[in-house]
Amino acid sequence: MSFPNPPKFLTKILRSLCREPFYEELQGDLEERFYRDCKYNGPSKARRKYNLEIIKLLRPSVIKSPQNPLPMNQLGIFKNYFTVSLRNLKRQKLFSTINIIGLAISMAVGLITISFITEMENYDTFHEKANRIYRVTTTRTNHLDQSNEYASTSLLAGQRIADEYGGTEEVIQIYKGMWGDLERDQKVYRFSGHYVSSNYFNVFSFPLISGNPETVLTEPNSIVLTEKLALKIFQSVDVLGNTIKFKEGTYTITGILEGFPKNSHMRVDALASISTLKKDEEYSHNWEWATMWSSYVYLLLPEDGNPEMIKKHLTDISKQENEKASTFSMHLHLEPMTDVFPGDGKYNEIGPTMTRSYIQQIIILTLIVLFSACFNYANLSIARSLKRAKEIGIRKVIGARRGQVFNQFIIEAILVALFSLVIAVGLFMIIRPYFIDLTYSTRQTTTLELTPELVLYFIAFATIVGILAGLIPSSLMSGFKPITILKGMSIKGDRGISLRKVMVGVQFILSIGLATLVYLTEKQYRYALNYDLGFNTENILNVEVQGNDPEILKAAFSQVPEIISISQSAFIPSIGNTNSDHARLLDDADSFPTYTNYVDVNYLKNLDHEVIAGSNFTDGASSDQIIVNESFLRKFGIQSPDEAIGKRVRYYQNNRTVIGVVKDFNYGTIYNRIEPFAFQFNEDRFDNLNFKIQSKDMVSTLEKLDKIWSEIDPNHELEASFYNQQIQDYYQHLEAKTKMYGLLAFIAISISLLGMFGMVVYTTEVKMKELTIRKVLGAELVNLIVIISKNFSWLFLIATCIALPTSYYLYKNLTEGIVHQMEFNVFELILGALPIFIIGCVIVLSQTIKAARMNPAKTLRDE
Amino acid sequence: MKGTYLGEFQEIVLLTIIVLNENAYGVSIQDEIEERTKRSVSRGALHTALTRLEEKGFIQSEYGGATSERGGRRKRFYQVTSLGRVALNEAKSVRDELWNLIPQGQ
Repeated sequence: MSFPNPPKFLTKILRSLCREPFYEELQGDLEERFYRDCKYNGPSKARRKYNLEIIKLLRPSVIKSPQNPLPMNQLGIFKNYFTVSLRNLKRQKLFSTINIIGLAISMAVGLITISFITEMENYDTFHEKANRIYRVTTTRTNHLDQSNEYASTSLLAGQRIADEYGGTEEVIQIYKGMWGDLERDQKVYRFSGHYVSSNYFNVFSFPLISGNPETVLTEPNSIVLTEKLALKIFQSVDVLGNTIKFKEGTYTITGILEGFPKNSHMRVDALASISTLKKDEEYSHNWEWATMWSSYVYLLLPEDGNPEMIKKHLTDISKQENEKASTFSMHLHLEPMTDVFPGDGKYNEIGPTMTRSYIQQIIILTLIVLFSACFNYANLSIARSLKRAKEIGIRKVIGARRGQVFNQFIIEAILVALFSLVIAVGLFMIIRPYFIDLTYSTRQTTTLELTPELVLYFIAFATIVGILAGLIPSSLMSGFKPITILKGMSIKGDRGISLRKVMVGVQFILSIGLATLVYLTEKQYRYALNYDLGFNTENILNVEVQGNDPEILKAAFSQVPEIISISQSAFIPSIGNTNSDHARLLDDADSFPTYTNYVDVNYLKNLDHEVIAGSNFTDGASSDQIIVNESFLRKFGIQSPDEAIGKRVRYYQNNRTVIGVVKDFNYGTIYNRIEPFAFQFNEDRFDNLNFKIQSKDMVSTLEKLDKIWSEIDPNHELEASFYNQQIQDYYQHLEAKTKMYGLLAFIAISISLLGMFGMVVYTTEVKMKELTIRKVLGAELVNLIVIISKNFSWLFLIATCIALPTSYYLYKNLTEGIVHQMEFNVFELILGALPIFIIGCVIVLSQTIKAARMNPAKTLRDE
Repeated sequence: MKGTYLGEFQEIVLLTIIVLNENAYGVSIQDEIEERTKRSVSRGALHTALTRLEEKGFIQSEYGGATSERGGRRKRFYQVTSLGRVALNEAKSVRDELWNLIPQGQ
């Protein structure tokens, strides 16, 4: 009698899930019933019943528990993993060193990033009500129809929200315009401060050492100093009731602040009551809609507050106020204080800030470096797995499961990562000052101090890196079949090799891409520095007047023989500052935005501006004369320079006459097009002196200038910088980028070259016998080199083909805002990849030559 | 007395094993219970009960010889231990006592 077999699928499931001791009995019972049911009820019903029974069997008392049921001394086995790992590290010193150094370098970068992010995320967290504090921000559209986002806003907005609308618990108004000199007993002290509302301390948790937080800022002319400033002025903090002078006002000290924490987005030396300004006619314009450049509004919402409602109120206010304004419009927004730092790059921040995009860039670059190092580890481990195969085979035969072998290799990787961490922390200490020095905002906001919390993060990070690095080799190696290994067959699985090729390829792509990016950024930076502005900046020293009478300064400095000529101007062009108004020809209706600078009679000559028509300003000229540039003529449709002379222009609320035309020059930066421009003559506006200096000994000349300055103005330091230096400072962000990309590219390239070195050493080792036999049979060195380098060359070529266009595209995207782009041809890009190729070749060559020089007898004897 | 508590189903299983005497293994126990109580018993439920009983020491088991009718797998035969009989008797006497306490005439 033949019966159908019981259903296979669920039987298999039972087999795999059922605890070993029960399986035979249970399956037997089920099968017996199945055959009986077949006989009496037919196969289909029997099958159904059988399956149902199995499903009902899947209960906790039958199913294997997920834990390893093997009673095993876990500690012992871990100790064994540890010992074996150490032995392996010791035995293969070269590979261990490559692995540890590669991981250490990239982990140092990771540590920087972790401590950086931790610090950034920690900003403003100390405020007790942090998540209820909001800031009003502004989108302002100006007369040129350009929109910008500002962190500042009109105090009127704060005033109206507080007076007319509900929904807020507190409204804080802050006016930033308090900086300069505090005066006490004829001595002055540099400081910066804020005028703030009296309820300031109800919102922000800045602790006071003395003074009542409720009342310190209520009375006009009250001032609260930080402990540091108080000690500097009075050598004591017990100074309540003392007075101090700022500009024309006398302020009474009502409180002492402990100081602003390092992780506060606003940090000043003093706070004064904003009621001081309110009683002063001169400051009444601060509460006008248009005044928004130095004022800030913070709101505290109640526990159950509704930000959406506040937003609606702000929109209402904007709409009402914009109707009264003609030349601009402003739109108010609400921003949670937790989003202020790191911010999204608004203008007019209240203090130094950090943008989220910068942090993201750093994270991406760090990940690239980290992946590169993890690939390295994986690569070398897989390459060497042949040597570990016997060990894996024996372990498996003795009874190790795949999971256990996997764990072993993961633990080994974590161990290597922890070793690397020790070195990485050392490197972290070395890189830290360079990283902080990278940009202005990091200098202002970042300390990267090691805290206990960070140390924990570091260890967790090292563990994760270890797991990541060990993941691929562990899963590959734990999959080896013991029989194949112990039979002595080679286990050069194709999978392993192609995977390795992909990893090496990705490494190459990253390094070449980064190298190209560095090359392009560096070139752009050089281009920006050497860009021909159209006037001379060589040997020009710009000196800030700082409120002194420019004529007195000029008279004093003209005594110095090294100063060839002196001119005066309101702004220093080409370093990012611009000033503009709409200009209109009197006999025409069209008006165009026209930029400006106020200069004296010497300016054009001093900076070698080329006058192509008309004349320069002359002494005693009237202030309605202007000198325009060529773009001005083009924009207004004036055919020739000579034709422009005498044209009447409506500009800056006055009718003005064109008396001259200068050649086009770039008053903006590489980010701006050359637009219409007009020099104006206005002696009241000179904030800068421009010295043309010719000196063999710059240091002593500057000392001389310093001395003259301190005789005229003992209270301030001489603020003088060379024009070229100022330009360089302006492009500092490009330099920072070059440095950052450069550093990371260097690291990524070093790591991948280390990895390549390891691979080449390994390949020659494995192919040693083949190479020697070939040599014995008469192969030339060239043939041997081809054998070793064939694979690498292909990989390199493919990687280059992918990396170059990608980094070019990336670069184009990153520099979209630059109008005056440098020119370069595609072959230059290859230059970026060339060094890597050359070093790669050197590695391959050196190893192959080493192999080829070996005495053949040595390698072949032990066969 | 948590360890020796005897559930209703466990009691039935114990009794069945005694009734079946030498021939008490999975399928026969299952069949017997189904026939006597007219309720369907899954092999899983039976397995759980048997495991519990064995943990408590009320039954013991051993493998018999392999037979072809069950794909060459051995049967596992169960026997009630003396501890199991004591527990059964105890359960019975508790019931008898309660029966006797029922007032007459009802």
